[in-house]
Amino acid sequence: MADKLERVVVEAQVPLDYTYNYRVGPYIERYIKGLGDKKILATKCPQCSKVAVPPRKECGVCNKIMDEWVEVGPEGVVDNYTVGHVKIEKGLVENLESPALLAMITLDGATVPLLAEVKGMAPTDLKKGLRVKAVFTDPAEDSLADLSHFEQVG
Amino acid sequence: MRKVAIVGQKQINAADVGKSRERMLFELCRDFYKEMGITRHDIDTFVLCSNDFYSGHTISNVFEDCPVGAYMKDETKVEADGVMAATYAFIRILSGLYDTAVVVASSQGGSVMRPYLQMDYSLNPTYDRQVDLLNEVNAAALQARAYMDEFGVSEEVLDKIAARNLRNAARNPYAFNGKTDVTPADVANSDVLYEPIKAMHCYPFTDGACVLLLAAEDRAKELTDAPVWIKGVGDLLETYYPERDVSRSKSVKSSAERAYKMAGISDPASELDLVEVSAKFSYQEPIICEALGLFPEGSAGDVADRGLADMDSAMPVSPSGGALGAYAFCAGGLVRIAECYRQLTGGAGDTQVADAHTALAHGQDGLFLQHNAVMVVSTEEG
Repeated sequence: MADKLERVVVEAQVPLDYTYNYRVGPYIERYIKGLGDKKILATKCPQCSKVAVPPRKECGVCNKIMDEWVEVGPEGVVDNYTVGHVKIEKGLVENLESPALLAMITLDGATVPLLAEVKGMAPTDLKKGLRVKAVFTDPAEDSLADLSHFEQVG
Repeated sequence: MRKVAIVGQKQINAADVGKSRERMLFELCRDFYKEMGITRHDIDTFVLCSNDFYSGHTISNVFEDCPVGAYMKDETKVEADGVMAATYAFIRILSGLYDTAVVVASSQGGSVMRPYLQMDYSLNPTYDRQVDLLNEVNAAALQARAYMDEFGVSEEVLDKIAARNLRNAARNPYAFNGKTDVTPADVANSDVLYEPIKAMHCYPFTDGACVLLLAAEDRAKELTDAPVWIKGVGDLLETYYPERDVSRSKSVKSSAERAYKMAGISDPASELDLVEVSAKFSYQEPIICEALGLFPEGSAGDVADRGLADMDSAMPVSPSGGALGAYAFCAGGLVRIAECYRQLTGGAGDTQVADAHTALAHGQDGLFLQHNAVMVVSTEEG
């Protein structure tokens, strides 16, 4: 027998080249359309009055169809946040040159927080209770990216 | 109801095991069956636990059947955590159709796949994966902050929890990420990933596998003098993260209540001698333990300061070092059961808890502790 071979590692790309053409459904389609008009649309539960954004069709708690549409924001309050010193790209951790701010924001009129980036402020100023305002992509791209990020109010 | 016991365990964990998953499973199971004095023909049903995404091909169990001896046998798969797979094996024996079951869980997150990438695939594909903001670590950061804000718990507490687990792991030969004499200050000085999560708060990327043999009463007594009986189980999945209070875990609480009811446990803090929990990040340990009813809600600071979860305390939490010592996806929860088995049979070596008769193992799956399962095990046949 020959000497034991050196271990060879191959890089298998998983998923390979898979593109999934999911339909996002009428609720997210309407939400995206709203973003193009600089409006953030949510749906309200007829039973518990929960206002969910992004809008969803069924209330997970009451199991009711949420068919009442309401406009929320564009301002809101930071409920929870984290300051990222790294980013994770395809599972690999990379250091960031400047921190990235991520927050759970309860928009005015909504009851479910929305996860979004916060920009244009010092990481140490990001606190629970801070008021922030949505910044939209202009011109609109007709995608979820039309809600670009949030900034501190005032 | 039939009585079902765990009669043996074997496990392997490494940062890089240096062999294929199939080879790892073959060597583990071959040696295990030899130690147990059985052949593959003594096993009525095989419950494999792995994941197509983690192994990188469809039907991840298809290449496991030969290495574990399940070819031409009754075999099934659970694509979740090992506690859920062990629960399924338990149920299969309860059905009366099988007297023995082997559970084998494995993945190679140390050398083959990227655990944080795999967790991205548990996100909603039409919204969260499109906005591309969330990952396992910043989700952990948000949940840690929710717990800390809700109960006034400081970051130092997370450091203390991590240090205790890493010190425990240093005494466990099956954990590879242990750190003897590590202090909370060492943890505090590790790299900040997403505040308040630091590198040493996180589970290590792990290649690993674990195998358990379960048997119905008569067979269990033939196979061992020291069976560890499965007394109760509970397994619950809860709603997606934005719509629930992530500072506490309803699904851990409800699954524990179900398991305690089955096991006849009314006061878990006094009736359990130890718990082994899958806290993949240090902040998760108090959320899980409080939901298990072991400590009051929000008491993580007090528990850490007074050493109430230490190996020599009245309520030892993860004397093995838990998920911070080693955490292979799928195998992680099964290892927690295996560690309870080692404890209750007096075979836990330097991590042995004195007079351990009843224990609970916890496993989880998903971001924000979305899916949880528990199993109560005991030396008392009852």
